[in-house]
Amino acid sequence: MIELEAVEKAYGSGSTEALVLKGISFRVEAGEYVAIMGASGTGKTTLLNILGCLDKPTGGHYRLEDTDVVSLDDDALSHLRNRKIGFVFQMFHLLERTKALKNVMLPLIYAEEYPDDAEERAKKALTSVGLADRIQYKPGELSGGQQQRVAIARALITDPAIVLADEPTGNLDRRSGLEVLAIFRRLQQEGRTIIVVTHDQAVAEHAGRILLLSDGAIAHDRPVAEPRDAEAELASLPKEDRR
Amino acid sequence: MRIRRNLLLSWEILAAHKLRTLLSVMGIIIGVAAVVLIVSMGRGAEERILGRIRTMGTNLVIVRAGQVRLIAGRQRQMNTVRTLLPSDAWAIAEECPSVASAAAAIDRNMPVKWGAGSIVTRVVGMNEEGFRIRNITTPSGHPFDSQEERAARRVAVLGHTVARDLFGDADPLGLQVRIRRVPFEVIGVAAPKGVDVNGRDQDDVIFVPLRTAMRRLFNVTYIQAIYVQARDAQASKLAEEEARNLLRQRHRLRDKPDDFTIQNQVTLLETEREMSRSMALLISSVAATSLLVGGIGILAVMLISVRQRRREIGLRRAVGALRRDIRNQFLAEAGLIAGAGGVLGVTLGVCAALAMSGLGYWEAVISWPAGAVAFVFSVSLGMVFGIYPAMRAAHLEPIQALRAE
Repeated sequence: MIELEAVEKAYGSGSTEALVLKGISFRVEAGEYVAIMGASGTGKTTLLNILGCLDKPTGGHYRLEDTDVVSLDDDALSHLRNRKIGFVFQMFHLLERTKALKNVMLPLIYAEEYPDDAEERAKKALTSVGLADRIQYKPGELSGGQQQRVAIARALITDPAIVLADEPTGNLDRRSGLEVLAIFRRLQQEGRTIIVVTHDQAVAEHAGRILLLSDGAIAHDRPVAEPRDAEAELASLPKEDRR
Repeated sequence: MRIRRNLLLSWEILAAHKLRTLLSVMGIIIGVAAVVLIVSMGRGAEERILGRIRTMGTNLVIVRAGQVRLIAGRQRQMNTVRTLLPSDAWAIAEECPSVASAAAAIDRNMPVKWGAGSIVTRVVGMNEEGFRIRNITTPSGHPFDSQEERAARRVAVLGHTVARDLFGDADPLGLQVRIRRVPFEVIGVAAPKGVDVNGRDQDDVIFVPLRTAMRRLFNVTYIQAIYVQARDAQASKLAEEEARNLLRQRHRLRDKPDDFTIQNQVTLLETEREMSRSMALLISSVAATSLLVGGIGILAVMLISVRQRRREIGLRRAVGALRRDIRNQFLAEAGLIAGAGGVLGVTLGVCAALAMSGLGYWEAVISWPAGAVAFVFSVSLGMVFGIYPAMRAAHLEPIQALRAE
């Protein structure tokens, strides 16, 4: 599915060159749920940008489903992002003055073929994240957790094989964060590949595997023996905390 | 097409920023409104001038005795000159090949009475030919014929204003008015002709036969004007030359200056038309400058908009937008804003033109083609000035754009 081989990323050039990623190699199989951890400045966001085809490595190889990403031009990368990858950001990145439905439909505008049932698909995606009754709301009228779920619905609208999330729970309270993580688990069970970047150990332990970055290199790569269950944790939250 | 799918979303985003959008197109709105208004006013002026040409009679060349000067923008006949004679008129009609006909005329201001009413008006001595050349018709009654002219009969045709002032709604035909105590029978009332180039009411006038005027009213042997009709509009210049040469010869002027003035009315009107056109051109160029400023307004606001929407641009790139999608989006938005400004401007200009006509300040004729041109021009202007901001937006790196505050 995903295969990195000695991936390097350098910024600047000559004497001011800074190597952010120093030869990273790993594979992620289809349907895996991986957390990338590391302190700030260890290059985990840079790695995620490369995995998401937003940025290209300056050295090494990156294969995504038999596609050699490094050799692609800007347009081809855009098409790849549209077809294969769904992004979830810490800051949600919703269009402020636009209703949830239209926000979710946005990636379809850039699809090679605009589906006739675009609106139906958007409604379905919103329903799958539990926002069937918030379709006509604008981001400002939704809570942080709801906004992040709109963003997840947007990531799912093109039915991508991979969902990449950058600190998806960073701006959320505990309950909303768990709701998001519960959705990720479900997506994995549907067969999607999930990669989450986080600095939060508790969040990472929901994944099946943790990659720890340190100073631009992989410090260790280990499976999680017993991943945490977001659904169960949600159920165990005190009742008065529920909205 | 992707661009059309996106345009609706762009429209929503622009509509959400009403004030910013409105301010950015203010220049275009004003520019377009000014263009539409000016062109409408210019067309109104043109129609008015063409109307005057029609009422004046076509192919008209006027010979006046003595020098005619422009004083405060009005034509004034200077000192009395006695050298222009009725025989000059006949000679012009007979001897000039480009002239179809010619009519002598003389006029004085005189008191005219009917019953208790008394006014001072211009009494014009003229023959039957003069009515035809000057395109004066008499819907009620008839102009005097050559018999009445030869016999110096005391008959009169009233101008529309005179008939109204003396008789009100009553029918003056067959009644007797007194011009300086001499009784005249009213045999006709002329159709109204309105105001002439000099702003003089052409209907405040009484026509009497030339011979009657010269012998019984004014007691003179000379005339003041000859109305000359050229064979056609093209010949009017030629007719003017021929009449000038003939008169110089007849008056034995040799190296002395003309003792008459020839006015070619069509030329005069064309000059006036030319003036109103160049005026319109001048104001239009000011309006065009305003459009240019409007374009710069769009440039500025689009640049700000691109900066404020970096995160949106980053997101769109992340979910698959190509660079050219972003470029096209911002180009289309610039065109959309400018187009909306164009529509508002045309509406405003048309309303202003209608208001001016409605309030009677100026006869404006709405020019829809000018509106369409102004609209298309403003859309193109928006797109041209949108190119640079759109390129800037397209060249943002997605990861940097996403991280923007």
